[in-house]
Amino acid sequence: MPETWPYLETHQTRDHEPTPYETKLARTLEDIFTKDGHGLSDVIDGLNSRQLRTPTGEPWTEESFRAEMHRLGA
Amino acid sequence: MTLSTRDTADHIYAHGLRNQWHPVVPSHFVEPGGMRKVTALGENWLLFRKADGGLSMLADRCPHRGAPLSLGKHLGDRVACWYHGVEVDGTGTVTSVPGLPGCNLEGKTLVTSLPVREVGGAILAYFGDEEHPDPVELTLPGPLADEEISAFLCYAEWEVPWRFAMENLLDPMHGAFLHSESHTMFAGDTTAKFRIRETERGYFFEKTDQRGVNFDWVELCHTGVDWVDLSIPYPPSAGPGGPFGIVGMACPVDAGRTGVFFWRYRRVSDWQRDTWRFLYKTLIEARHWEVLEQDRVILESMPADADQRENLYQHDLGVVRLRRLYQAQAGRQSKAQPVSAR
Ligand code: FES
Ligand SMILES: [Fe+2]
Repeated sequence: MPETWPYLETHQTRDHEPTPYETKLARTLEDIFTKDGHGLSDVIDGLNSRQLRTPTGEPWTEESFRAEMHRLGA
Repeated sequence: MTLSTRDTADHIYAHGLRNQWHPVVPSHFVEPGGMRKVTALGENWLLFRKADGGLSMLADRCPHRGAPLSLGKHLGDRVACWYHGVEVDGTGTVTSVPGLPGCNLEGKTLVTSLPVREVGGAILAYFGDEEHPDPVELTLPGPLADEEISAFLCYAEWEVPWRFAMENLLDPMHGAFLHSESHTMFAGDTTAKFRIRETERGYFFEKTDQRGVNFDWVELCHTGVDWVDLSIPYPPSAGPGGPFGIVGMACPVDAGRTGVFFWRYRRVSDWQRDTWRFLYKTLIEARHWEVLEQDRVILESMPADADQRENLYQHDLGVVRLRRLYQAQAGRQSKAQPVSAR
């Protein structure tokens, strides 16, 4: 039974290291939220105008974005 | 017997107040079928989880000759002491004395077991003293019980007296200085007037002239467990959903160590919720951690007698109030005779 004092873990909510795709997506979302706005349409337009594509190479739609966030953030 | 009313008020103030609930460790520290030794309120305890998830917390002391049960063997629904094999179940009852079957210890409840509950990913236990073994009512912090609110627990272990950790939370003004270089607390005035506002469950300590810009208010709540609620704005990069809140609690480990529990929460739903959670795990959690480290560094650097040689000013009223409350409580919980009366 390990004793681990002190427990000082930066990351306590991840189940995996973010992939390069996830990091890029997160950074891009922050950029959009900072520069373009907080609406869902701001996000979709922002991702597409920055030429970021879905994992299957398509432009983002509201539906695919919701589904992807649900997969990554639920 | 574990928590004694014969302890002095000073001892109780230093090691944590009794007759209330405290958080102990995150739930995931004790796996199904696992056990874990923990220290809380200056005593050693054993957390013990059955395969079906049921959790027990026992004094870490074998009823036979006092060996730590935490060195023993997990037998599914019991623990067997390593020293002479005495078996104790999750209620603290001796189920078997293998060296002397039929021994009159069998069937007796000889080990203190504390009531436990799991809340928001943390284990809470009721630490009654010998005169108050039955748990007081526990009302959960609203933000942790609200379905519209999403929360993440952050847990950390600090080399500081528990009261320093609590006082830090009743001292919002440090946000504008200690955290001036952070992703959340860079804005707002560095001067302020504060007031105390009573509530049914505790009190607010809040700025009178600024809200929603920095760490501008905090509410201390006694609802069976002591916790604080506060709110801090996010920069636009954190997306929709407004500020994030913190529900904070502390586990008094012993006189010099504290487990801190911070649930960062946000009122978000639907895609906004999922997006915040994705950003949190990917980028924001590390930034929150940096802010928390600033608190740890300053608090761990404080001298042990920091609270005995101070020159306080108006911003410290929230701290003064907290100390008075806690010292009075420690006094009421001690039946120790003053030295001169012995
Ligand atoms: S001390 Fe535990 S069985 Fe003897
Ligand atoms: Fe802080």
